[in-house]
Amino acid sequence: MRFIKFGLLIALLSACGGGKKPSQEEFMQSIDSVKTTGPSISEEVIDGILDQIPSPLEISVLLKESGKRYNSNILNSADNISKYNSNYKKALNLGIYGTDLGYTNIYEQNQDGIKYISAIKSLADGLNIGQFFDVTTIGKLATNSKNLDSLLLITTQNFNSINHYLQEQSRANLSALLLTGGWLEAMHITCNVAASDPNNKELQEKIGEQKVILENIMLLLSFYKEADQNMASLLADMDELKKAFDKVNITYTYKESTFEIVDGVMVIKDNSTTTIDIKPEDIAAISSITNSIRNKIIS
Amino acid sequence: MKRLAFFILSVALLTSSEAMSQCNADNLSTACIPKLAGGFNFLKSYKIDGAGGSKDKVEYSYVFTKGTQYMINICANAQPTDGIIVSLFDSNRNKVATSKVNGQFISAIAYPCNATGIYYIQYTFDGSSGYCGGSALGFKR
Repeated sequence: MRFIKFGLLIALLSACGGGKKPSQEEFMQSIDSVKTTGPSISEEVIDGILDQIPSPLEISVLLKESGKRYNSNILNSADNISKYNSNYKKALNLGIYGTDLGYTNIYEQNQDGIKYISAIKSLADGLNIGQFFDVTTIGKLATNSKNLDSLLLITTQNFNSINHYLQEQSRANLSALLLTGGWLEAMHITCNVAASDPNNKELQEKIGEQKVILENIMLLLSFYKEADQNMASLLADMDELKKAFDKVNITYTYKESTFEIVDGVMVIKDNSTTTIDIKPEDIAAISSITNSIRNKIIS
Repeated sequence: MKRLAFFILSVALLTSSEAMSQCNADNLSTACIPKLAGGFNFLKSYKIDGAGGSKDKVEYSYVFTKGTQYMINICANAQPTDGIIVSLFDSNRNKVATSKVNGQFISAIAYPCNATGIYYIQYTFDGSSGYCGGSALGFKR
């Protein structure tokens, strides 16, 4: 079906005649990753996995609420945007900037946030998904820290809309890259903060439990490795990260939960547990590989 | 002329009844977001479209992490949940929670997660009239 759509598109563009106009070129580039072959796995399965990946905002909230100070030096500079010319780089760095924006928002660093809003809008436009990023509203909200809840809500909604749209348009490969970039940046931020606080058990566990998410991301990327060389290369890099994570042990113990009703809300008491066994050398290896993959993406 | 009028009327009636029976799960899931309790940050909105009763469940999944509290709520056209039940299962399909207790439909679940992993958020219908709803997922530390 995707092949037929692509063929029709080519025929339509050819029928229009004339030389290759810039607008056509841009449009062709926008679908450059959707070419003739897609993954053999169903879109429903891919969408399901994409939806599982947690928001990087959860990590930013953890860092803020555990008293960690804001550090703009660990983020990807918004000035790097001119380096991102392919859809592959645009999608990955859209995810990275999305995480950086979430981080600046949580810490109410509005001046930095505005730079990321602009970079995100530009990358999203380049991928023909700029219509889902309400830069005017977000920009207004970002100027006043009293609007934090609304700012977080609208930003999350916009990114959700982008992901849904990409999935509906059979461009879930870009959605996979966006989420991968977002996750890598959250990993990078967490590893950096953990390095400055080596005795923080909660942060160490937070890094270790990312093994669960990495497995999902690798599964997603594997669906596209035959069709997309960039994604195959990224998957190979992520496989190095997986090897480091293989040394992390997560033990799950199930125990039936209990509950009580409080003000009309069912409050669950989770009696199950996970224990995460991660050593300082594992964190060092994970941190180093994450940094290396991220550097390839942002440079 | 009468036949034509009858035809137009029939088409209009069919169209309007179809529109009425359509599930606007998108609107209901959006309406659910501000109903998350204070302090919860919005994560996802979920459409619950039982296709007029032809689907017996609608399921999504999400990675919940230890130390984070999640809230899942339900919004429907009839109060409190129009027979929609949300159940939570862990990655091994062990039931962690269900929102119907002693015949009562609860419209929100708060889940302080103690075990990181993939969780399945499953919506089912019990005596529902519309088989249509929305839901929002939020988190707080």
